[in-house]
Amino acid sequence: MTEVRDAEARAASRRLLATSERELQRIVLDMHDGPVQDIFAALSHLQVLERALAADPTAAQRAAQAVRLLERALGEIRNFIGAFRPPGFERRELGQIIEGLAVQHETLTEQAVELELPGELGDCALPTKIAIYRILQEALANGHRHSGATRQRVSVERRGLVIALTVSDDGRGFEPQRVLAREEDVGVEGGHFGLRGIQDRVEMLGGTFTLESAPGRGTSLTVELPAE
Amino acid sequence: MIRVLLADDHAIVLEGLRALLDGEPDIKVAAWTTDGTDVVRLVEQHKPDVVVLDLELTSIKGTEVIAALRERTTPPRVLVLTAYNDGESLRSALDAGAEGLALKTESPQQTLTAIRQVHAGQLVFPQAARRWIEGRAGGGTPGELTPREREVWALVAGGLTNPQIAERLGLSDNTVKFHVQHLFSKLGVKNRTEAALKYARGR
Repeated sequence: MTEVRDAEARAASRRLLATSERELQRIVLDMHDGPVQDIFAALSHLQVLERALAADPTAAQRAAQAVRLLERALGEIRNFIGAFRPPGFERRELGQIIEGLAVQHETLTEQAVELELPGELGDCALPTKIAIYRILQEALANGHRHSGATRQRVSVERRGLVIALTVSDDGRGFEPQRVLAREEDVGVEGGHFGLRGIQDRVEMLGGTFTLESAPGRGTSLTVELPAE
Repeated sequence: MIRVLLADDHAIVLEGLRALLDGEPDIKVAAWTTDGTDVVRLVEQHKPDVVVLDLELTSIKGTEVIAALRERTTPPRVLVLTAYNDGESLRSALDAGAEGLALKTESPQQTLTAIRQVHAGQLVFPQAARRWIEGRAGGGTPGELTPREREVWALVAGGLTNPQIAERLGLSDNTVKFHVQHLFSKLGVKNRTEAALKYARGR
């Protein structure tokens, strides 16, 4: 009886995952079609104006200030879209999505990601693909933000019926128990969901989560999720 | 004078870019359209040097427009202008054969710079995209030439053009452009003649 209920709850969680990605897609699309085009166009006009005002330094300065503000707003939208736009989960295979994410991370951070991706990785179930993508995204962002690492490595492989993802770095490391405890009551922070969120995603799909880290010794995170 | 064609679904973006580009002494907006299916015809009519193209067109896929332009005997250079800086957009632009990518989430000044760079024969993609341009290469140590770059160097010195080198080595045009760019920057030369001279002087 409990098993049946567990299975039902798990299936519901999976549907929820796909639904929330669809909602993100819609929000990102609205941002794209609305504010991005408007701000980009407004900036173009302002830059023309800024030049035309060259003879009036005070006015030119105001225009320049407006340009800076709008550029900052666009930059924030860029980060938002980068973090939330779903990468065509239904059209692309797991390997392509992971590679795309690695390149995106490299572009944003200007730091290389060593990627180990077997050619015969194949595809996997949608909820697993979504979870792997979001977990990898979070792990790479964490590694970059907090660890001061110079090297980040990612490997993905199929081990029988599971997909295993390992993300490691040579950064300063931390005490996993302390960080997890601190995150216990914290919700979504700055659009990211932290280690606790990674664990939740793994649990939702009935996978396993291993975190190895210690101060001064880098970090290695491994998750295993059912491929189907 | 760089002749530019602008294609974007969003009329306000076209209007803004036109105003900006019109103020540049070295750039002329030859034509513009909000209809992606019109691009090929307009290119035929106006023969622009650079086409600035949004990938997210409603009437036709931006990548299809690029493919159609590639079939011309002298295709214009294509700069993709998109709001998305993710791997997927980058990959689509590269695979379609665009020469560069500029972002709508960055200053229009960057678009302006990218138009000039693309026109000058540069490939304008983030460094991270080299993974896809070179295939699965990890890249050599900066400053040191990779075996492929040596090969390309020899052919550049032999007077071959990029398309000829691409054919000889079985690579795409974009890959060769990428190698040539890296070669020049590693050798510290500005053009093919200087690269050839350096080659002749015993490397």
